[in-house]
Formats: sequence, structure tokens, C-alpha cells
Amino acid sequence: MKDVTQALLRLIQSNWRRVALGLLSMAVFLTLWSLYAAWLRAEWPFQGTPSGAWEYVPYPWEVLEAFYLSFWSHPVSGLYMGSHVYASLKRIVAGFVLAFALAVPAGLLMGRLWTAESIGKPVVELFRPIPPLAWIPIFLVVFGITWGPIGIVFLGVFFPILLNVQLGARSVDPTLIDAARTLGTRKMDIFLKVVLPSTVPYLITGVTVGLGIGWMCIVAAEMLGAVGGGVGYFIFTAAGNSQYPYMYAGMLMIGILSILTTGVAGLLERRLSKWMGMR
Amino acid sequence: MDGNAVKTSISISSLGKVFRKGKKEIVALRGFDLDVKDGEFVCLLGPSGCGKTTVLRIIAGLEDKTSGSVKLNGREISFAGSDRGMVFQEFALFPWRTVRKNIEFGLEVKRIPEGNRAAISQKYIDLVGLTGFEDAHPTELSGGMKQRVGIARALANEPEVLLMDEPFGALDAQTRNLMQKELLRIWAATNKTILFVTHSVDEAVFLADRIVVMTARPGKVRETIDVGLARPRDRTSQEFIRVRGKVLTELDEEFEKARAKELSPD
Repeated sequence: MKDVTQALLRLIQSNWRRVALGLLSMAVFLTLWSLYAAWLRAEWPFQGTPSGAWEYVPYPWEVLEAFYLSFWSHPVSGLYMGSHVYASLKRIVAGFVLAFALAVPAGLLMGRLWTAESIGKPVVELFRPIPPLAWIPIFLVVFGITWGPIGIVFLGVFFPILLNVQLGARSVDPTLIDAARTLGTRKMDIFLKVVLPSTVPYLITGVTVGLGIGWMCIVAAEMLGAVGGGVGYFIFTAAGNSQYPYMYAGMLMIGILSILTTGVAGLLERRLSKWMGMR
Repeated sequence: MDGNAVKTSISISSLGKVFRKGKKEIVALRGFDLDVKDGEFVCLLGPSGCGKTTVLRIIAGLEDKTSGSVKLNGREISFAGSDRGMVFQEFALFPWRTVRKNIEFGLEVKRIPEGNRAAISQKYIDLVGLTGFEDAHPTELSGGMKQRVGIARALANEPEVLLMDEPFGALDAQTRNLMQKELLRIWAATNKTILFVTHSVDEAVFLADRIVVMTARPGKVRETIDVGLARPRDRTSQEFIRVRGKVLTELDEEFEKARAKELSPD
């Protein structure tokens, strides 16, 4: 009993250290930021003449205030932050679902069949390094303002999932396939009952990475058009209006949304691997 | 063949296997002949790299033969199928499936209805002594228990033969001895034909009706030894030690040959 309580205490202690260090790093960051903003303004503790760039760097509390206000008023583009978040989430989800639906089968095939790999590899290797931003003009023409942004998100999400699933399908333990074959399993069932479940941990990695990149693409995506607003749209509109605290508030919102969606993916992973008995 | 002779289960004649690695050709098997009778327990023994696992994999249909013939109950074998069950040294359990779901895998892919599956898997769970562990995942099991699942999974398909590729090679000595006794019990209960690959002379003498000693590469049958000891066998008995000595002598010569081949430049 004593050992258990001690172990628990130690666990809390070590977690406290983590929390404390995290808070410390945030505090250092906010201090440096505030000092920089103060320096540009020649305010305390600095003296002299203000720099012309001061309005581009608001104080952290001004950003927080703008973040809070953006939910209750609509200083940028006549929409509340809630609507922008909703619009962006819709794009992320649509782009993600499309990418997932295509990348998973493509990755499985390319990981298991040399013909599929030979066909897919040149195209994938050619298109993978192209930044989604580069596609904006053509996507606007081809897909229009509703599907264009979704297409940009799709590009960001597609490749990480594809490559991870391919790697996972390639790394299936060959004795598991041997075992399935000696149990009388046909090709299709080997795919569904051996290859697919073996690939799940890799798939989760692909999803997590893909979601992060999806959010990184949202500003570029919403440059194409933002029917019903969007956080990316919010950011570049605020920048265009010189509402810099709001611009930073939008950036903060994307960071938070990315953490939340990645967190949900992580939660799903733990559930899934527990259910599958992997840990 | 006289009328009351026991049926032949596996019949292998002049089996040959050549592996190609780029331009290099490795002759793994040449002129391998073996008949295994129905219900017989045969151990394949030989120096490492002699092709004993290859023989097993060809029978299982996991590897193509280069020449010769392999028949199971009179039919030439080709693809892997559920008529030949296999147990692997690495257990090869599906980590995302419970014990029960692992054992039901073969039944599932045969589209046997769920109700029947449960009855069959329960029968084999009880047979191999896994009662109470039905819902455990492989990661929660010890090595010995994992191999019990491996055996039950192969048996649940009701194969005509059970092929075992060094199934206890990854277990510690005590577990290994226990699993050998368990296997004999299971064998007696199911009357399966078993072809068992091992590199342990002790294991072969403890388990087998007949021990087939293979030559160094290219592998063929050097000698077949009838063990002829009553079961349960006592490892410390005079007869056991005598048979062991005989097998060891045969094997040692092949080990020397294999070693000489390894040391000599090609």
C-alpha cells in the first residue's frame, strides 16, 4: 500500500514538473514577445523613438482581447469567430474524408502489389513535393470557390496518409500472411483480415500528420474563396484591414484547432489499439 | 501393398528445390523421399540450412517445389490450403485478435456460421488447455500459451496433417518439456498425422515414432530411425539414451560436413 501511494505521488510529482516546465516555457515566450513589442513602441523598460513597425506587433494581451472579442462581435468581415471555425472545420473534414477514402486503398495496393507501386510511384513522387499553395490558380478555375479550398486541404492530407499506409502495408509480418494462407485464406481475405488490421497503427500516424498539414493549408485554401467565412479567411482579411491583433487571434485559433483535432485522433488511436489488443 | 497396411498420408518422392538469388543457384533439396503414415508422428532432424523447413513449407504450399512430387492422401498438393495445418516457431498469432478469434480465423474465412464457430473453437480451447483465456490477447500470454493457441488454431480447421516448424524453439527449457508432453496428449486425442521439424535430438527422440535425419545441403534423407520406445518416455532411461546416441552419431557426421562446406571457399 505504501509503495502504491509513493508511486502515485511520484507520478504526480513528475507530471507537475512537466506542467511547470510547460508553463515556464510559455512565460518565457510571452515575456520575450512583450519585450519586443515594448521595444518597438519605445515603452517601458525601453526609451527613445518608436519604430514604424510597432503596429504589426501587438502585446500578447491585445491579441487575447481580440481573440475573446472575435467571438462576441464581428470586427472582421461581419462574421463571428464561431462561424469562421465552423466553415474551416467543414473544409478540413471534407478534404480529410476525401483524402482518407482515396489514400487508404491506394496505399494498401501500392504497399502490397508491385504493379500498383510501379504505376503509382512516379506520379506520387512528382506531385508530393509541390506545395499545395502552387495549385491555387488552377484549382480556382477547375473546382471553383466551394470545392477549390477543399481540394487544397485534400492535397495536404492525402500524401501523409498514402505514404504511411503504404509503409504499413509493406511491413506486414510475412509469417502472419503465411499463417493465414495455411488456414485456407484467399487473397481478398488476406487483404481484409491480415494486411488491413496490421496497417492500422501506420494509418493513425498518417492521419495525425495529415490533419496537421491540413490546418497548415487552410489559409492558402481559403484564399481561393471562403463561402461562409473561415479562419484562414479571417486571418488574411484582418491583415488586409490592418487589424493585426485580430490577425494574430486567427492564427492562435488555428493552433488551437489543430491541437484539438490531433488530440481527437490520438484519443481514437488509443481506443483503437486497446480494442485491437496492440497494447 | 498388403491389404491391412496403414494408409499413407504424406508421400514425397524425389523432391528437389533450387533457390535462385540473382545469378547464384542454391540447391536446397535434391532427391528427397519420404512417406508418412496416417496418424504417425515423424520428426525431421538435420543440420541448420539442410532444408528441413523448406520441406515443410513445400508441403504446406507456402513454397513451390522445383521438381518431384508431394502427395497428400493421394492428391498432388499445390496451393496452401486448410487440409494442411501449420504451427510456426514465431507463433504467428494475429495480435489484434483474442485467443478465441485467433482460433476461429480459419473457420471465419471458410464462412462457417458464427454459432458453429464458437462450438468448434471452444472444443479446441479446452483441448489445448486454454479454458479461461478465451478473451485474452496474444500480448497477455506467455510463450507456451501462445503456442497452445497456435496449435488450437491449426487443429480447428481439422487438417489432414499437422506441420510443425520448430514450434517450441522459442520457449525456455522447462516450458519446452511441458509443451512436448502436452503435444503428445493432444496428438493422442486427435490421431493427427504430425510432421515436426526440430534441431533438438532430445526433442525428436522424446516425441517421434520415426526420426528422419537429413543430410547437409543439398538436403535428402540420410537415415530413418524407428524410435520404438513405449510412451510416456523417460529421458533418463537406458533405452532413451541409446536411441539418442544413435541419432547423434548420424547427425554429427552431417554437422561436420555442413561445417566443412561453410569453411571451404566456393
